Amino acid sequence: MKSKAHRHQASFRDPSGYIVQDGSVVKRVINPIYFPVYDALCEADFFSPLFKAKMLIPHIEQERSEEAIVLLPDQIDLMTYPYEWSFEQYKQAALLTLKLQNFALDRDFSLKDASAYNVTFHRGKAVFIDTLSFDFYQKDSPWRAYKQFITHFFGPLVLAHFHGAEALKMMQTHIDGIPVALIASMLPKRTKLSPTLYTNIHLMAKMEAKHKDEYTPKSRSIKLSKQSLRNLLRSLYNYIDQLELKQQTEWGDYYNKTNYQPESFNFKKEQIQKWIAQNGARKILDVGGNDGTFARAINSDIALAVVADVDHNAVALNYAQVKANKEDNMLPLWFDVTQPSPAIGWANLERASILNRLSAWAPEAVLALAVIHHMTLSSNIPFVDSARFFAGLSPLLIIEFPKRNDSWVDSLLQRKREFINHFDHYHQENFEKAFEQYFKILERVNIPDSDRILYLMHTQE
Amino acid sequence: MGYFSMMFLYFDPGLGAMLVQAIVAAAAGIVLFSKNFMYKVKSFFGLTKSQKDGIDTIDFEQDEKHPNEEQGS
Repeated sequence: MKSKAHRHQASFRDPSGYIVQDGSVVKRVINPIYFPVYDALCEADFFSPLFKAKMLIPHIEQERSEEAIVLLPDQIDLMTYPYEWSFEQYKQAALLTLKLQNFALDRDFSLKDASAYNVTFHRGKAVFIDTLSFDFYQKDSPWRAYKQFITHFFGPLVLAHFHGAEALKMMQTHIDGIPVALIASMLPKRTKLSPTLYTNIHLMAKMEAKHKDEYTPKSRSIKLSKQSLRNLLRSLYNYIDQLELKQQTEWGDYYNKTNYQPESFNFKKEQIQKWIAQNGARKILDVGGNDGTFARAINSDIALAVVADVDHNAVALNYAQVKANKEDNMLPLWFDVTQPSPAIGWANLERASILNRLSAWAPEAVLALAVIHHMTLSSNIPFVDSARFFAGLSPLLIIEFPKRNDSWVDSLLQRKREFINHFDHYHQENFEKAFEQYFKILERVNIPDSDRILYLMHTQE
Repeated sequence: MGYFSMMFLYFDPGLGAMLVQAIVAAAAGIVLFSKNFMYKVKSFFGLTKSQKDGIDTIDFEQDEKHPNEEQGS
């Protein structure tokens, strides 16, 4: 490999190959140890149906020598990690992994790992990105990645089913998946009566505890027929496919609950659309973007809109629309602006923080609609810190400021009770003064029939 | 071919997890069989909608719908 390219820090676990960052381009290098598998996969025409179905990230073979084969995959705009997906996204990633394993078995291959980090969202769909995860199937051998599938996919989804989507955030503290014993301990007792949950989780936890001090030589003699393995996969698939969140609350009337008259709503939509088009922004980050209503309203030529929200229901509703309308330029992201996902893993370099990934993606405009009052009044973030934060994301900012007499602002202030006077700084004048430390205010318009102002700002040169 | 599966180099699959798969698969077989049986009984009485079983489904519909999609870029 050329010396200017360097190995990506997330890519050290698998001896088959590694990822390199060559300038802004990500490539995959295959080590000689994996050549036999790679060549067999090519010979079996394994990849092309998966490319066509958009299940596996497409690649072309760029270089080949005795020491390395270099693949150039389609580039992912923004990597999202399991703890940033809504329940339904997580489900799709799990189902995709099982489908791929099923597809591989048909052709006498097998997934050698089943990490949730092998999947990300690209052009509106879950896509498998670890091209080197396929290995030869060894006759009558059990699935070595089975436990990983349980700790990365099945366990988190089942926990989310019983405890709510927040359970998926546990992946942030468990890069190798949630331990089976922990999953088992968190499930209600009655789950022992479910054949699927009993065998895949409770029994596995027991067996793992029993055999934890033994080493593996025995494992090569453990046998499982291909048909049995298929049954296992199919039953996991069917179980996950019907799994739903218990806390599915009534959602969808957010915009009715807010204080918008239809005219102000439409005015806001049109104004944003105009500014985005004028500035030719094609990569948009919508912070607090809810279900993507405003991002969708921008009819101009958008390459990708990343719509981030702290409310799982909003992210879920957004993804439901992405799926239903087959949208390929919308990426729903579960994101808490006051606690963005940190960098995790080996040397804190293995999985980058969301802010790092966002800044590498470099959005051309940020929308922050009806979010600053929450940041300031619910989370006590000073205006100037919010301004610095937004300036770090993108040069162009469209931000909505609800004035003090806005009913939402008023209700947030009332919650402060006797401390309400500590929030006297929440005023248009202070807001502008703080933001002008980082931005130049290009335009400001009052939204009709509301107590809200829409700003177009550009960072100071 | 002299290729030794590098799965053995990669990570510990867990002996317990390897052993348990035979039991999991047996239970899965029973569940699938009984679901299939119930489905057949119900469909005999005309009580079912089409059975959803997606693991074998490979979905190419996006390509067929927008055959010109890729050409633009």
